[in-house]
Amino acid sequence: MLFSELILAIMKAVNRQRTISSPYHLIKGKKSGQTIQDIGYFGLYPYFGVLPKLDKKAYDQAVQRLFSEGYLLDNDQVVDLSQKAMDLDIAASPLNGWKYRGKENLFFSRLSLIVQTFSHISQQQKNFDPVVINEEVQSWVKKYLKRINFRDLAVAQAFKIELFTTLTDSGSSETHKIIVTERLTGLALSGLTWQQIADSKNLSLLDVQLMWVEALHSWMGVIEQSKPPLLFGLMEDIIQQSSLTETAQRTKKLFDKGFSLEQIASLRQLKTSTIEDHFVELAMNDPFFNYRAFVNPALFEAIIAESRSRKTKRLREIKEHLPEASYFQIRLALAIREEQR
Amino acid sequence: MNLDQLLYNTYGFSSFRPGQREIIERVLAGEDVIALLPTGMGKSICYQLPAKVLPDSILIVSPLLSLMQDQVAQLKKMGEKSVVAINSFLKPEDKEKIWSTLSSYKFIFISPEMLVQPFVKQKLKQIRISLLVADEAHCISQWGFDFRPDYLRISEILPHLNFPQVLALTATATDKVTEEIKKYLALSEPYVYSHPMDRKNIVYDIKKFEESRDKIEFIKEFVQKYNGPGIIYAGTRKKSQELSMLLTELGVSAAFYHGGMEQQDRVFVQQQFQNGELQWICSTNAFGMGVHIPNIRHVIHYQLPTSIEGYVQEVGRAGRDGQPSLATLLYAQGDEALLDSLVMDDLPTQHEIEAVYHHGAGALHLIDQGIVRETAMRVISYWMTQLPIEGVIKQMELLRSGKRQQVLKIRELIGLNGCLRSFIVQCFDQQLGGKPDNCCINDGIDYDAFEVFSPSKEKQFPLQWQERLSVILPI
Repeated sequence: MLFSELILAIMKAVNRQRTISSPYHLIKGKKSGQTIQDIGYFGLYPYFGVLPKLDKKAYDQAVQRLFSEGYLLDNDQVVDLSQKAMDLDIAASPLNGWKYRGKENLFFSRLSLIVQTFSHISQQQKNFDPVVINEEVQSWVKKYLKRINFRDLAVAQAFKIELFTTLTDSGSSETHKIIVTERLTGLALSGLTWQQIADSKNLSLLDVQLMWVEALHSWMGVIEQSKPPLLFGLMEDIIQQSSLTETAQRTKKLFDKGFSLEQIASLRQLKTSTIEDHFVELAMNDPFFNYRAFVNPALFEAIIAESRSRKTKRLREIKEHLPEASYFQIRLALAIREEQR
Repeated sequence: MNLDQLLYNTYGFSSFRPGQREIIERVLAGEDVIALLPTGMGKSICYQLPAKVLPDSILIVSPLLSLMQDQVAQLKKMGEKSVVAINSFLKPEDKEKIWSTLSSYKFIFISPEMLVQPFVKQKLKQIRISLLVADEAHCISQWGFDFRPDYLRISEILPHLNFPQVLALTATATDKVTEEIKKYLALSEPYVYSHPMDRKNIVYDIKKFEESRDKIEFIKEFVQKYNGPGIIYAGTRKKSQELSMLLTELGVSAAFYHGGMEQQDRVFVQQQFQNGELQWICSTNAFGMGVHIPNIRHVIHYQLPTSIEGYVQEVGRAGRDGQPSLATLLYAQGDEALLDSLVMDDLPTQHEIEAVYHHGAGALHLIDQGIVRETAMRVISYWMTQLPIEGVIKQMELLRSGKRQQVLKIRELIGLNGCLRSFIVQCFDQQLGGKPDNCCINDGIDYDAFEVFSPSKEKQFPLQWQERLSVILPI
């Protein structure tokens, strides 16, 4: 998927109900209430936090290009997708942002250092400058290598075979796989910079970086499923135990102990609006979330009915017709997944 | 004790490089030492070898994070495990462990700002320190080209550590700078080792043009006339990217390098260069620290350097192997005007100083508001703790005139009719001990000493992923 396709895919999903900066926050993985709740409303799970270092300038340029190429249209306050954009067939992406939360970077750092080590050791080079500077990764890899008995050539060979099989099975395109391997370093063959990769493939920096994430997400998916003995070890701490953000988890713990929203806010010295964000996040993620503590069932039904009949998820529009509901209550009601209602 | 034996056992070298033995002997004799050794002359051995003999910890104060990381990595690569780096990026959980076992580390690297934190001071007081090493000691001098006010804080810690023995290391220092090092490190009678600054195998060239774009033409021609490896110092990030693209389009292998790239990319470029996969690096002055490549043949300055010291340091990355290397300085009419503004821009203005004093402790938000620049803030906030406002303003004027002097020296270099080498050496208050045959543009250069360009054998096609993995893992 190209970066421009990513923006369009998100804009299509939010269907004229969000501004042009919302894809930016989503792609960067902003943990604000708005972004998190939109993920649930519009089913944006795959795209969350896939490029955490995305530069606003680069994003704006990409958006400008979509305007000038006629994919996006300015329409008063909202951004419209042109027919051209609607007709564009965007292939399904293996992105799994909500699940991996940027941890593909950790996975790949570990992998890079392990591959570099095998490359040198198998060619009788004991000393080399580690390609990964991060000391935490270094010490993790040291422990890992010791555990798998890395000096045994048979282990190195087995590792290589696992690399080949799982990457082949991952189902991403040849270009995706080339990008991934070009970021790996061995003896006398260094990894390539994003710019070098992009230039050689006539793609933009963001395209290449996004494809790298895609390739890794599908590869990691294969590793998780097939559990190859050596590579599966790299997934330690990478599979997210809970899909909640850490701060929302803390709020949940206090709530489960019986504290009220206001009490949690004062205990945690956070604004009540922040705690409200956490509850919206909980509502989205927890199939057993009980909204009755915050909204009575009649009002809940009314909000859902209003949203359905007007085909909108815009808070202000719903609030206009249901003034007795607070914004928080509306957000909460919309956050609860359809199948739970 | 036999130093040669120790050197061989530790490093596998059979002889010292010039200066190392003298410095190490004095250190082991318990004297304070100021050592001026050009880059690439093995400065770190001067404390690493004594550490094998001295009973207690070696405390190394290092002004630059990247430098500290590099030295720690080098030590670890040599198998030294008793190393710790204390800087503001330490994680709380690591800190605790470090504090409780501090005295067990042989090498303790620390940044100046951590040095003076009360808690850190307290911890350092409790351990025994055999030697305090001030790395890049010229940073302590406001007359140096790389003045870092934070570095002055070393002098605050000395009394708390009972004035330990000191080894001050630097690659560039004039007499004036050496005097300041003595003063701030409270060294009454140090042994000063001053290695000749001159590197005989480096040939100094200056090319003058009427217009900037002539420089581009020159570079195009140059990279097709001579082989690398070489560094082109471009001045700005944008320029470094442009130049690298230019070279790539000519079919010459090149990459850019600057502080705006992500760390992994910078590591890749360094490794490519180190492996000989790249001929040219187009970079800002961010490239060089911690780069250990002996056979760099060319250093080209696309833009004027801001000081002779900085220039010599950058040029000094060439020819570590002793083979002939060419330093080419490009100049176009009007460049010096640019230089003036570039240099003065670094310093806090009176307006900024007043703003910071006016806001007191809450002055940090002035950075966000764009009233005070971050670099200026760093300088001011140090001096605020030392001087009243009038003093700081005066201090900045002094600094400004110092910088102006440095720029004047560069102008002088450009306009010189005489020998460039003699002039450069004089800038370091040294005498030139004989000229090499291939000396500088004003004495005539024999360009045949430099290997002519040979186009890379065949155009390399990008490998398929299976091929690439098999090359990396030939098992």
